[in-house]
Amino acid sequence: MSADRLNRITARLESEGGEVGKPARLCRVAKEIIRVDGAGVMLMSGAVPQGSLCSSNNVSNLLEELQYTLGEGPCVDAYQQDRVVLEPDLANPVTPRWFAFTPRALEAGVGSVFGFPLRSGTARLGALNLYMDRPGSLSDDQHADATLMADVITDQVLNGQADAVQGMAAGDLELSSNFQFVVHNAAGMVSVQLGVSVTDALIRLRARAFSDNRLVREVAEDVVARRLSFL
Amino acid sequence: MEKSRDHAIVRSLVEMADNLVDNFDVVDLLTGLTDRCVRVLGVSAAGVMLAQESAELRLVASSSETMQVVELFELQADEGPCLEAFRTGERVSHENLRSGSGRWPRFSVIALEAGFKSVFALPLRLRERTIGALNLFSIEEDPMDERDVMVARGFADLATISVLQHGAAAEAQRVSEQLTHALTSRIVIEQAKGVVSERARIDMTQAFDRLRSFARSHHLRLTDVAQSAIDGTLDPSVWVPTSPAPD
Repeated sequence: MSADRLNRITARLESEGGEVGKPARLCRVAKEIIRVDGAGVMLMSGAVPQGSLCSSNNVSNLLEELQYTLGEGPCVDAYQQDRVVLEPDLANPVTPRWFAFTPRALEAGVGSVFGFPLRSGTARLGALNLYMDRPGSLSDDQHADATLMADVITDQVLNGQADAVQGMAAGDLELSSNFQFVVHNAAGMVSVQLGVSVTDALIRLRARAFSDNRLVREVAEDVVARRLSFL
Repeated sequence: MEKSRDHAIVRSLVEMADNLVDNFDVVDLLTGLTDRCVRVLGVSAAGVMLAQESAELRLVASSSETMQVVELFELQADEGPCLEAFRTGERVSHENLRSGSGRWPRFSVIALEAGFKSVFALPLRLRERTIGALNLFSIEEDPMDERDVMVARGFADLATISVLQHGAAAEAQRVSEQLTHALTSRIVIEQAKGVVSERARIDMTQAFDRLRSFARSHHLRLTDVAQSAIDGTLDPSVWVPTSPAPD
């Protein structure tokens, strides 16, 4: 029953004492409860990824960075289309998609990926990012746990933000999340170097990341460190 | 007769449940509820009072706009079956209002003048939370029969859940917009740091200091200064050093 499931999740979150809503804990518990190989939370707004709240391991983190760089993937679809996105066999998908994301994810050792949207009422925050290192579907139990976990994470993020100082992101959120500010720093620099808008500069940074087969964050770090110039 | 009333009840419940799913207006929903109470339960008038943040009961919807009925409700912020139902979280019924006495001296005078002989109130309650009350008036003296009470409870529960859901959804929307806004403002500042850093050939920390000093000395908001840096309308003094470094 749904109430038992929720109680189990809540009990697990509270069992360690301290703050329940700490992002790192939310991701770790998500991975353990849903029994996947990795879980992460992507935050999105204005139709695009904005960053990552947490990731339970490096591969999860990479999957989020890839989606941030490439603007495509299971979490992007889950958020933009407001639905659960399941890809049980990334190497042999029934419907091929995510042509830039897929090879890079496979290379990282991912076999299956799933995206569960984070939403509350009409508010949409992003998506829960899950993967397994071999192909396979989520069982009904895993699916139900993931759906509930997405709700719990959404509530925690919103509750945290509700207590925040007006006009600012909640302290925890800011501390734990990676909103890719370095990419925005670099976009400012590149907009001056190329004489284009910041929006165009972001596109140019991503295009460079794609053609160099790197993450946009890595390209941005080089720009900010002045190892790379667009002049 | 029974069948057509049952049919009306079921239809009412389905219509109200539909409203839960679509975008709906709380006042519309509650007004519909009061109309249904009159039609299906055969009472003379119905009204819904809600206690919002101030925790004072306010009339939100009523089956009748006549001044008398409205006044009857407004009174109830201080005294009457609605207030009692709201405070106790239990149903309240009184079939024989006696003018100027009993539990609600002032209320009963007005009610009787309006032609009502009996009143019934149900709390709008979900487990431990009572958010208001549903009030029914009748010109008859007969008490509500249990079947009618059950139907009224069904309507009241549906109304309660709708209001709470809507409130929660509106709050989630508000908070998520706040988060988006905070993030956007921060992003603008980070982008502006990049612009100033490149123009002045300084690092990000120094670029931030320049933006902040400029904002302060010109009594401007940091986000506005940052936006103008991105738009290309920022005073170039921000990236030109103000005094030469000493040798």
